[in-house]
Amino acid sequence: MLIQLKGGRVIDPAHNRDAVGDIYLENGRIVEKPDGREPDEVHDVSSKIVMAGAIDVHSHIAGTNVTLGRQLMPELPLIAAAEGQPILPSTAQWGAYATGIRYAEMGYTTVIEPAMIPTHAIQAHKEMASIPIIDVAGLVVLGNDDYTLNLLRKGNVKSDELKDYVAWTLAHSKALGLKVINAGGSEAFKFNARTFDLDEEVPEYGVTSRGIVEAMQQVVADLGVPHPPHVHTNNLGIAGNVETAVATLEATQGHPIHLAHIQFYGYGKEGDKGFSSGAPALMEAINKHKNATVDVGQVLFGQTVTISGDVLRQFDGRRAANPKKWVINQAEGNGTGVVPYNYKKKSFVNALQWAIGLEIFLLAEDLWRVLFSTDHPNGALFTRYPEIFHLLMDRDERARWFDSLPEASRQVSGLAGISRELTLSELAIITRAAPAKVLGMTDRGHLAPGAVADVAVYTEQKNKTKMFAAADLVFKSGKVVVRKGNVVNISWGRCFHVDPGFDRQIEKRVHSFYDTYYGADPRWFGVTETFSDRPDRFATIRCAR
Amino acid sequence: MDSALQRAADLLAQARLPVFGGLFTDVNGATAALALAQKLGGVIDHAASDGTCRAARVMRETGSTPASFGEVRNRADTVVLIGDHPRERDAELLQKLFPGETLPRPGDNKRELIVVGAKKGKVPTGVRTTEIGGKNTLPEVVALLAAATREMPFETRDAALGKKVLSAGKRLRESAFAVFVYDPAELEEPVLHTVLETVRHLVKTTRAATLSLSAPGNGEGVNLCSIWTCGLPVRTSFAGDVPENNMWAFEAERLLKSGEADALVWIDALDGAEAPPPTRAFRGIPSVVLSSKPVKAGRDDVVIEVGAAVADHDAEVYLPPISGIGAVKATSADSNKPTVADVLGKIGTLIDEKGAA
Ligand SMILES: [Zn+2]
Repeated sequence: MLIQLKGGRVIDPAHNRDAVGDIYLENGRIVEKPDGREPDEVHDVSSKIVMAGAIDVHSHIAGTNVTLGRQLMPELPLIAAAEGQPILPSTAQWGAYATGIRYAEMGYTTVIEPAMIPTHAIQAHKEMASIPIIDVAGLVVLGNDDYTLNLLRKGNVKSDELKDYVAWTLAHSKALGLKVINAGGSEAFKFNARTFDLDEEVPEYGVTSRGIVEAMQQVVADLGVPHPPHVHTNNLGIAGNVETAVATLEATQGHPIHLAHIQFYGYGKEGDKGFSSGAPALMEAINKHKNATVDVGQVLFGQTVTISGDVLRQFDGRRAANPKKWVINQAEGNGTGVVPYNYKKKSFVNALQWAIGLEIFLLAEDLWRVLFSTDHPNGALFTRYPEIFHLLMDRDERARWFDSLPEASRQVSGLAGISRELTLSELAIITRAAPAKVLGMTDRGHLAPGAVADVAVYTEQKNKTKMFAAADLVFKSGKVVVRKGNVVNISWGRCFHVDPGFDRQIEKRVHSFYDTYYGADPRWFGVTETFSDRPDRFATIRCAR
Repeated sequence: MDSALQRAADLLAQARLPVFGGLFTDVNGATAALALAQKLGGVIDHAASDGTCRAARVMRETGSTPASFGEVRNRADTVVLIGDHPRERDAELLQKLFPGETLPRPGDNKRELIVVGAKKGKVPTGVRTTEIGGKNTLPEVVALLAAATREMPFETRDAALGKKVLSAGKRLRESAFAVFVYDPAELEEPVLHTVLETVRHLVKTTRAATLSLSAPGNGEGVNLCSIWTCGLPVRTSFAGDVPENNMWAFEAERLLKSGEADALVWIDALDGAEAPPPTRAFRGIPSVVLSSKPVKAGRDDVVIEVGAAVADHDAEVYLPPISGIGAVKATSADSNKPTVADVLGKIGTLIDEKGAA
């Protein structure tokens, strides 16, 4: 069936397109305007905005860690709703099903879960398979696991085996890419370290955090995995940590790297309170390092819960838990920390965090490398994205928020001096085109023929919060799934992963490792093609080698 | 089979409050049961959920400090084993927790075992073991140990016990990684709180954690599935506008006894584990029974034979060695029997068709 979206303002920055025109969909793909054929279905979208379906590069939506968060804080949607956040007051609202529904209503069609635990990949995939409509993918976490660390043990580097091990892990867990969270820091925590810096050595193994990240960058490049290592660096959330972020960028030596939720590393230590905006210094470094991409991890005021594999950082953060309860889960590799948190507008630090995130977006010279995220739910719930779009696109809205911040925060923030307003095309870059490019998902994030027919249509409004909270029309793989902001048709998406080759010897080695140390068989946590009874659930993204 | 499915659909479509009990099934079975319970406005509970629910409630109040089985096995220098249940549940537990070879672990201490509120019994050779119990009850000795760990004064008439408790408290403070192992089904809530508070005290200066045994019958797998589906653990009702959890109100057996539930879906289909039936069996309440074993049921009940997860078909279930849900291949290739997920899915479709007609 040929579908025409007629007369909308088509915004497709991947092809420098921002003009009124038509889009044609057929068999789940975007197609050229066919010669001499009338469309079977015409949607008049004149005066509307037409974009590709949005892509979230970093949102914790599934897996052991998220479910641990749900266990600790079932009341999160109830508290958030009572504060006026856009979420219904039901525990089910942060279950898997509601996640897919709400994302679709906002025009999102692909979401990346950024912290799959290798030994718990089955649960992550089970949960992702319970999320309707959107396509998904997971990034698998390595870098604090004893197998990797043993290979990187000082003077013991067998790079081929590490390459095979990473490839095996990616394939075994059906992951799209590799995530590294506080490299070596979680392992050091197990030896009772309570801080861990870029050049500190992991006890017993001798390798440094820098060494782990460099090795992983090399391996991912060698394997040709399209998405670079997705790195959560050391010293998250600590005053003065902008130095760590800049040092991490300097250490990349030209290899591609993706730094996650960079706002949490944008902190200086100037001023009376020893906490200041590091955004200008951070953005100078990011603007300069052309092989680096970042997502922002914007915060908004209100209740949320922080969920992270940076167990060392979360352990320290437990003191700020609100409500006063927390989970520290010590497990293979990273483990997890879950700490409820309420960002307060009246807090000097929280207000500055909010401003730093916005500064990062607005100081970016190249938005293709500065992607949108709140690190859901860590900075803010994903249901609040439209409020942030509004702040980025409307300086009056920004000023309105800014003026209500504490005087002390306003005085040290450079935000008021920035008049930039993101255009619709720029918003489409940070929420569509750039995530697709960074993830190596070439069939999406744009509207050229051949792309998957994921399309979001919005009514242009001055109030961008309203505009993006409810898409007029969303197509997922060519089928209407949302009308007037409501899901009208439940479909089930696909799960994307890479499948780099490896020497089969690694299977025996890994088997023996798990058998000896865990009394476990790696097949227990392998995700196979027959995992899902939906025949085309999995799709492979090709590696360059 | 088809007529049984139709009868099951008819029975459930009429029910005011159907309860889904037993739930000895794999994650796919749990997913299907949750979907049907949501459709019908029913209640879900697992037959071995006492401990799970208690642990869930304590966690919701104050948090938790779990360690994975692998971390305990490789890195704990002091294991505090509380009560009898852990070894009743797994006779080889201590062998597994004290393996010959481990990953690098923190500190220089030799590994030690402290058995609290139970007899020392057989312990792995070469592991120094202290037994703390005497004539005192389990809650009392846990409280004594908690006080000693925090260096708070305590009183006991048993001088020998007092001495042991003091030295155990000192050992815990000097441990590089102390782990408390227990079955939440054996410990009352105040005792659970005491253990967690002790861990939270220890982590101020060293590393400590808990290893809470998972419920039998894939109880933890079913519970996790419930949480990612509706945000709440088992003993949740879908009768209202939003899901509601209450460990007393939505216990399957209480709902059956009180007559609040007017239909039962009983699921017992997991290899190597047998769900204890509700005390009134299936009598008096119209029941749909999905079982992999022969069942004594009432004349009007609908009994559907299903395959046993893990034996008759591949299954995803909670696996203690990885402290998470894993996939297990079927032990026998004979899988003509339908799965729980198949059957519940079909019943759901029949109910939808009935509703549409
Ligand atoms: Zn994150």
